[in-house]
Amino acid sequence: MIGTLGLDQHEVGAMAISQLLVRHGYEVIYLGRFNTPRRLAAVAEQEDADIVGVSVHSWEFAAYAGELLARCRDLGVGLVFGGSVLTGRDRGDLLARGADAVFGPYASESAMLEQIGAIVERVRVSPAAGARPAGRSATGVPNTEDMSADDGTAGAPGPLSGRVVIVTGAARGLGRAYAAELCRQGAAVVASDVDEAALEEAAAAVGGVPGSVHAVACDITDPGAPATLLGAALRRYGQLHCLVSNAGVLRSGPILRLDDDDLRLLLDVHVTAAFRLLRVIGGYWRAEAKAGRAVDAAAVLTTSAAGLYGFRAEAAYSAAKAAVAMLARVAADELRRYGATVNAVAPAARTRLTEWLPDSPGGPDADPWAAEHVAPVVAWLAGPGARDVTGQVIEAGNGQVSVPSGWQPGTPYPLPPLMSPAQARSLMPRVLAGAASPPGLLTAKLGAGGPGGSSPGPRRERRDGLPRPERHRA
Amino acid sequence: MTGGRSAAGVPLRPFYTPADGDPGYAALGDPGTYPFTRGRLRPPHARPGGWIQRELSGEGSPRRSNEQFRSLLAHGALGIDVIGDNPTMSALDPDHPMCAPAVGTTGVSLCRKQDFTELLEGIPLDRITLSHSLPPAFAIAGQYLAARDSGLDPAVLRGSAIQPPLYSEDCSYSTFLPYGIRMRLTLDSIAFSLREMPRFHAFLEDTYYISDGGLDAVEEMSLGFLEIREICRRLLARGLPVDSFAPRIAILVNCRMDLFEEIAKIRATRRLFARMMREEFGAADPRSWSVNVAVHTSGLTLTAAQPANNIVRGAVQALAMAMAGVQGLEISTFDEPFRTPSDIAHQLAIRTQQIIWAETNVGAVEDPLGGSWYLESLTGELERRIEAAVRQTEGLGDVGALVESGYFRGIFTRAAGRHSAAVHSGELRVVGVNEHVVPAEDDRFLRDVAEVRFEPDRAHAERIAAWRPGRSGGPLRAALDRVRAAAADPDADLMAPVVAALDADATVGEITGCLREGQGLPADPFEFAARRQPAEVRR
Repeated sequence: MIGTLGLDQHEVGAMAISQLLVRHGYEVIYLGRFNTPRRLAAVAEQEDADIVGVSVHSWEFAAYAGELLARCRDLGVGLVFGGSVLTGRDRGDLLARGADAVFGPYASESAMLEQIGAIVERVRVSPAAGARPAGRSATGVPNTEDMSADDGTAGAPGPLSGRVVIVTGAARGLGRAYAAELCRQGAAVVASDVDEAALEEAAAAVGGVPGSVHAVACDITDPGAPATLLGAALRRYGQLHCLVSNAGVLRSGPILRLDDDDLRLLLDVHVTAAFRLLRVIGGYWRAEAKAGRAVDAAAVLTTSAAGLYGFRAEAAYSAAKAAVAMLARVAADELRRYGATVNAVAPAARTRLTEWLPDSPGGPDADPWAAEHVAPVVAWLAGPGARDVTGQVIEAGNGQVSVPSGWQPGTPYPLPPLMSPAQARSLMPRVLAGAASPPGLLTAKLGAGGPGGSSPGPRRERRDGLPRPERHRA
Repeated sequence: MTGGRSAAGVPLRPFYTPADGDPGYAALGDPGTYPFTRGRLRPPHARPGGWIQRELSGEGSPRRSNEQFRSLLAHGALGIDVIGDNPTMSALDPDHPMCAPAVGTTGVSLCRKQDFTELLEGIPLDRITLSHSLPPAFAIAGQYLAARDSGLDPAVLRGSAIQPPLYSEDCSYSTFLPYGIRMRLTLDSIAFSLREMPRFHAFLEDTYYISDGGLDAVEEMSLGFLEIREICRRLLARGLPVDSFAPRIAILVNCRMDLFEEIAKIRATRRLFARMMREEFGAADPRSWSVNVAVHTSGLTLTAAQPANNIVRGAVQALAMAMAGVQGLEISTFDEPFRTPSDIAHQLAIRTQQIIWAETNVGAVEDPLGGSWYLESLTGELERRIEAAVRQTEGLGDVGALVESGYFRGIFTRAAGRHSAAVHSGELRVVGVNEHVVPAEDDRFLRDVAEVRFEPDRAHAERIAAWRPGRSGGPLRAALDRVRAAAADPDADLMAPVVAALDADATVGEITGCLREGQGLPADPFEFAARRQPAEVRR
């Protein structure tokens, strides 16, 4: 069923697509103009239509999209938007809010037909109204790799079109790079940061990409923040597929000098906030799964080389980051049953937290420490290619990506019951002698103050001549 | 453009010689002489500034649009073409519940006399021409009242109003008024204008809006002539002499990318019109034979991909139209696929026209391409094809019955499908779309300008809602009653009660509602629309 919305008078697109569909054997109910969401839904129900198609030629569609999306979702019919005024950003936004397909100017005929065919097929096998899967694979959002290949025009969807992603700490550094990359790949990003002005600036800077940014300023250590972010995503997009927990802070200093306030802040931001996000958003995914809707979700947490190998004089930060790595591992096990993956990345990039890294004379392309190089790894973890990847920690940046091997059980020795001091003196050196040496601590920089100072630390030269932080063996 | 054929399907030779369709010079005539193939009675180049350089404008409230007009005139525009937003084009008031998301976003919001006054305040209506892409009866009434109330004699007004009674419901100027009422409004508003605004072209045949969904040049002009002929026959049937109205007919045509065909189309149109008026309708005044042709370059030829390319398309089309000798020109701006023109797009389009006029010397000679064997052959062939198409359609019977039966809607729908299929197949080559495509991430130039959106003007809608209760009820009700009664009486003049009602502070939405009620229809078009069964619109 095809029509326009509101007072949108231009029917050319609607006429063209109905001709195309009729040529390919579809029955088209043409509703013309002056339609409301209620009318489109009522006729779709009366006529037992599979898909409602809306031809868009003015910005009015934005005012009606929410109601129409909800009505079509309730009816269990597909919803497709098409029109030349639809930008890449509109497409990302509408897909994220539950539209089944969005065709911009000159979308290819074969891609349109293929997608419409898939939507019809999906709608016809769908058991009942109201039971539409919320996940991307099941909403009939098409295979976007095919679409990218087919539709090279401006506003072509990316591999993450239709995915809604929360990114915390998105105003600067890695979070900002993640948000930009996710948008570039078509995702709708709910971007969060405690610094409202910087967040607005970062959101405004994302342009000319298929995806979109919805900025929500909040303090991630606030116990209510996860619910705020989830609510914002659901209000705007009606669904949430991914969490990128990235917000971070650095308070440097050796154990003897770091006070309680700094310790509490590090643990609150890195550990408690990530935990709460998983609890609230994982709860939403569980509810979706229990309601019978297919969940295709992913969480990406942020650990660090500090949490894997330890940073000298950064015990609290290192401990917090180690906790995040383990949190990812256990959460992966808990949330797998609800359709969610949980992984962690350990980025190596220059941010406010790692200003000691060497500057690059060129732009991001020439700078191995640019956050932009880490972002595609995060985007991959949030996308369909990593559907089976969970519980992993991935190091990325400085021209390398790797999966560190974690804690492994050592060679077991019999532990005498109630071991005496003499037994301990005899046994423990043997146990330790058989153990592999742990990797060395990393030195972020020389001198007091830890990362955040100005002088670069000792470095080894890489084969390509680029410096990287030294790893010291204990 | 297809190899070996023009865009409208005329077979082309590899080259042309004097043997190809030379009509003889008598059939062409000098510019400014019958049959006006080579140019109109008063050539555009005789004007100091050349043809009327204008751009489609109108955005937000009447006051905001007034500022836009002033800006365009300050940039050197010689005329104004104003278009309404979606509510205005639908003859609905901005405070109608369905209008809020659309107020001012695609044109100006106009619904009352005061709006026209504010729109035109300080605009030198005695010196510039004002073309209305608005529901015509209200455009004429509004401009008339605004001029009168500002102390200007309406007799000096120049400009035009589009009369779309046949095709408006099928081509984006829908007001949900029945065909009979649309035709009566057309005839009555033309008659009104002839009396009150004799320099005004109250009968502008707009073949742009009907053709930009994919019609070819022959379809475009044959439907245009069909409508002109139908309206002329009805005006004659009312007893109006042909020479009283024919000089006030103008045509606003489309211009696509097949340049020679578009130039030939305009020459063929002038010749067809002259012959039709003299030989068929018996016009004796040379001004009746020589039709004023203006052009709006095609929005359909512009692409959302690589929008900067549209500047080039507009320039090429404008140059062609300058060589065709059109009287007025509007370039569809580079951001057309995205929005109504932005400020910078407006300025670029005006500058394009100014460069062509001032720097190329294209206006030095009338009909500079005249005598080209190719162009003369193409002019003759298009003339034959347009005329044959008109005769064929008129052979199908009453035009009004064809309108009601959806015959024309079928033509528009098939053309839209045909165009879209030709682009998809690559048969119609479009740079940046089906060849020389660049990845979306590299296609950023000017997109940031083009994709800028602005919010609907809700404050204006609130202003109208707040103003409404303060009107004097008695005279208003009486004026609306007269509109309703006139609509119910097939012999009554509609224009006088419409002008009186607008003058009594009735709104366009209220007046249109009364026109519907007089026809036994619900006043609100959404109620009307909601009653349609899908079968009625299923084609």
